[in-house]
Amino acid sequence: MHADLAVQTIGLTRDFGSFRAVDGIDLAVPAGSFYGFLGPNGAGKSTTIKCLTGLLRPTAGSMAILGTDPLIDPVSVKRRIGVVPEDLALFDRLTAQETLSFVAQVHGIDAATARQRSSDLLEVMELKTAGTTLVTDFSHGMRKKLSLAAALLPAPKLLFLDEPFEGIDAVASRQIKDLLLSFVTRGGTIFLTSHILEIVERLSTHIGVIANGRMVAQGRIEELQAGGGGGKSLEELFIGLVGGEGKSYAGLDWI
Amino acid sequence: MRILRAFAWLRWRMLINSFEKTAARDTVERFSLAIETLGPIIAAVLMVPSGVLLAAGSVAAGYALARGDQHALFFEAARYLLWAVPVFSIIGPVLMPAADRTNPVRLLLLPISRRTLYVAQAFAAVSDIWVLVMLPLVLFVPIGLIAGGAFAAALLALIAGALLVAVVIGISSLATSLLHLAVRDRRRGELLALLFIVIIPAASMLPGLIQGGRHRARVEGRTEAREPMPIPSWLATTGGWAVTLFPTELYVASTRAAARPDVTAAGKGIAALAATGLCLHAFGMFVFARVLASPGSTGARRAVSTRAAWGRTLPGLSPGASAVALAQVRLALRTPRGRAILLSPVVMIAIFAVVMRQQIGSMDFGPLAFNSGLSLAMFGSFVSLLSILPIAMNQFAVDKAGLTLALLSPLTDGEYLAGKAVGNGLIAAVPALLCVLVSFVLSPDGSPALWVAIPPALLATYFLVAPAAAVFSALFPRAVDLNSIGRGSNAHGLAGLLGFVAFVASGAPSVLIMLVVSKWLERPSLVPALLLVWCAIAYTIGRILFVPARKIFAKRRENLAMIR
Repeated sequence: MHADLAVQTIGLTRDFGSFRAVDGIDLAVPAGSFYGFLGPNGAGKSTTIKCLTGLLRPTAGSMAILGTDPLIDPVSVKRRIGVVPEDLALFDRLTAQETLSFVAQVHGIDAATARQRSSDLLEVMELKTAGTTLVTDFSHGMRKKLSLAAALLPAPKLLFLDEPFEGIDAVASRQIKDLLLSFVTRGGTIFLTSHILEIVERLSTHIGVIANGRMVAQGRIEELQAGGGGGKSLEELFIGLVGGEGKSYAGLDWI
Repeated sequence: MRILRAFAWLRWRMLINSFEKTAARDTVERFSLAIETLGPIIAAVLMVPSGVLLAAGSVAAGYALARGDQHALFFEAARYLLWAVPVFSIIGPVLMPAADRTNPVRLLLLPISRRTLYVAQAFAAVSDIWVLVMLPLVLFVPIGLIAGGAFAAALLALIAGALLVAVVIGISSLATSLLHLAVRDRRRGELLALLFIVIIPAASMLPGLIQGGRHRARVEGRTEAREPMPIPSWLATTGGWAVTLFPTELYVASTRAAARPDVTAAGKGIAALAATGLCLHAFGMFVFARVLASPGSTGARRAVSTRAAWGRTLPGLSPGASAVALAQVRLALRTPRGRAILLSPVVMIAIFAVVMRQQIGSMDFGPLAFNSGLSLAMFGSFVSLLSILPIAMNQFAVDKAGLTLALLSPLTDGEYLAGKAVGNGLIAAVPALLCVLVSFVLSPDGSPALWVAIPPALLATYFLVAPAAAVFSALFPRAVDLNSIGRGSNAHGLAGLLGFVAFVASGAPSVLIMLVVSKWLERPSLVPALLLVWCAIAYTIGRILFVPARKIFAKRRENLAMIR
């Protein structure tokens, strides 16, 4: 496994019965990069993230997260990563502060540091006033921000973010983007999936595109855009790669 | 009609889809899902012979009525069965999981008038089990009347039956709309749930206990057996009127009158039923309109007074396991089902204590006689342990999305299971301790050694139940909502059953030690020491059993992570 890569997979495969959700993908996410992982709905993005974060066991293939195989030493990997999963992974009946306290305790962070970091994160996420409110009373956007705060609290080296900007207002979205960019500037690595291509284009240094469970392109974003004549926007590049061009709407004249 | 047909199809499709093969990931999950589906299928299959029996009984009742037997056995039986129908129409919507009832607000987006929406919603109640039970009665009594030659009476009985169905549907849709309005405010909804889980069942035990005690006292010829207080005449009159105007009684009275034949009396009953139905549906429509007009949820966000446990760990546990245990306790403290677990044993013991204080007599439950504080304490504390089964036997899935957070956390399987076991133990310990204290304050009789023996007996039982609970929760997880009452918040049926068996098997040695040593050997002072030894053995066995439990959990992690 390559030492400069934060995430590396070789032939990562995941089957659900007879359905192959992820089909032998080779990921190479350089350390310190902002990696946008793109794909149409049902392409296998969330399944890949679940495999990488230890929620699902791959059917075949090997992987290394920050140089460690998560199947051999999952606890060590989990100590160094932060995850904002699809379902946001929050206890409904804990408050924002209690959620962060839970995360701090399971990561073995001392009380003073945990309190300080929580206060900072709640401030940045504009959740300070909702610190003692139960998560069940949170809006979707608030939950998303809390989930991100929980992922950032242990100061991870690598962040997995599954659609972090979905349902977030413009102001919070801007703050989160700035926060994530500063995380990468300080040497962290981000593995992000998003359907909002403008955001991925603005933030990412590298992208990987998956379709039908297979990796169709991967590399530095400028290099991919420059390929095949160059000057393509990420949207054009993406649609070209996943095959959404040239659909006829002739039968839909009634709309 | 077009819209009613669409709604009928919707209900039917939802029912059929619930039996469809789901995306089970392996054999254990397929088995687990099959067991879950088996219950409703068995109930549906059993309904067919029940319906046939009811129909046959109803024909016999109608025939007997036509032949002049006004108090035919079948008709009397049908009368008492019908009594329960309006009651279930009110309780039913509360007990059914919220997801089983279509939220009317989202139907507003469809191009359907509110009146039609109400009719469609009300008609959905026809498929409720209590309405289905009523249908053979109201349909087949007229057939019996026809068989007996009373054609006019049959027509009147059919009209009365149709009106009774309309009344019950009115009650059901009114109850559903009122419930929707009530639960808009989450806190109010939770209070309502708690009321239904704890207070009502507990309070309903009281008359039976008091009556049973009085009866026993009379049989034993004790002088303290008092005569019941006379009922005030106004209360008796009002009660009589209420019974007469009860919808099913109106139906029974008008059907009997039609069979006599007394058309005027039958007409009066039918008119009263029609008026009741009209009032119910008018009020039901008004409340339904309020539901549609009010926002999806009301009430302020709730801030809780407890502080986050920064760095605080439970003794003997790692910080991670401690965090898991505290999260489990908080879940119980902040959900209606969890609070019910904490409160039910205490309320039950309080009721038993009241009855005991009145010295009504002893209450026998198998080999235990509830005539002393000690037996009350034992009963209460074991009930406290038993009452955690809905959470303990589904300890992973109850966390919902929180489970993903735990699975993503750097916790070893051992830490996670230890945290869950301690958390569940703490949930049971609070009411158990309260039950012992209340019982001791009320009646501190009996051998002090036996009082001291209660905690080790409970601990020994729990040490053996805890690994079993972890295994059953891992094998048969069930997505639940601890805010709901009844089935919606229960553990998987098989996990619940196996959990109960495990509880009985784990508690048996402690109870046996107590009974054998104190009753047969008459050495109660030996009981605490023996139970402490047993407790140590049970702890060791429990630790050993946690080894396979951890392995099973590790194998089921993936399935647990996919639970929705």
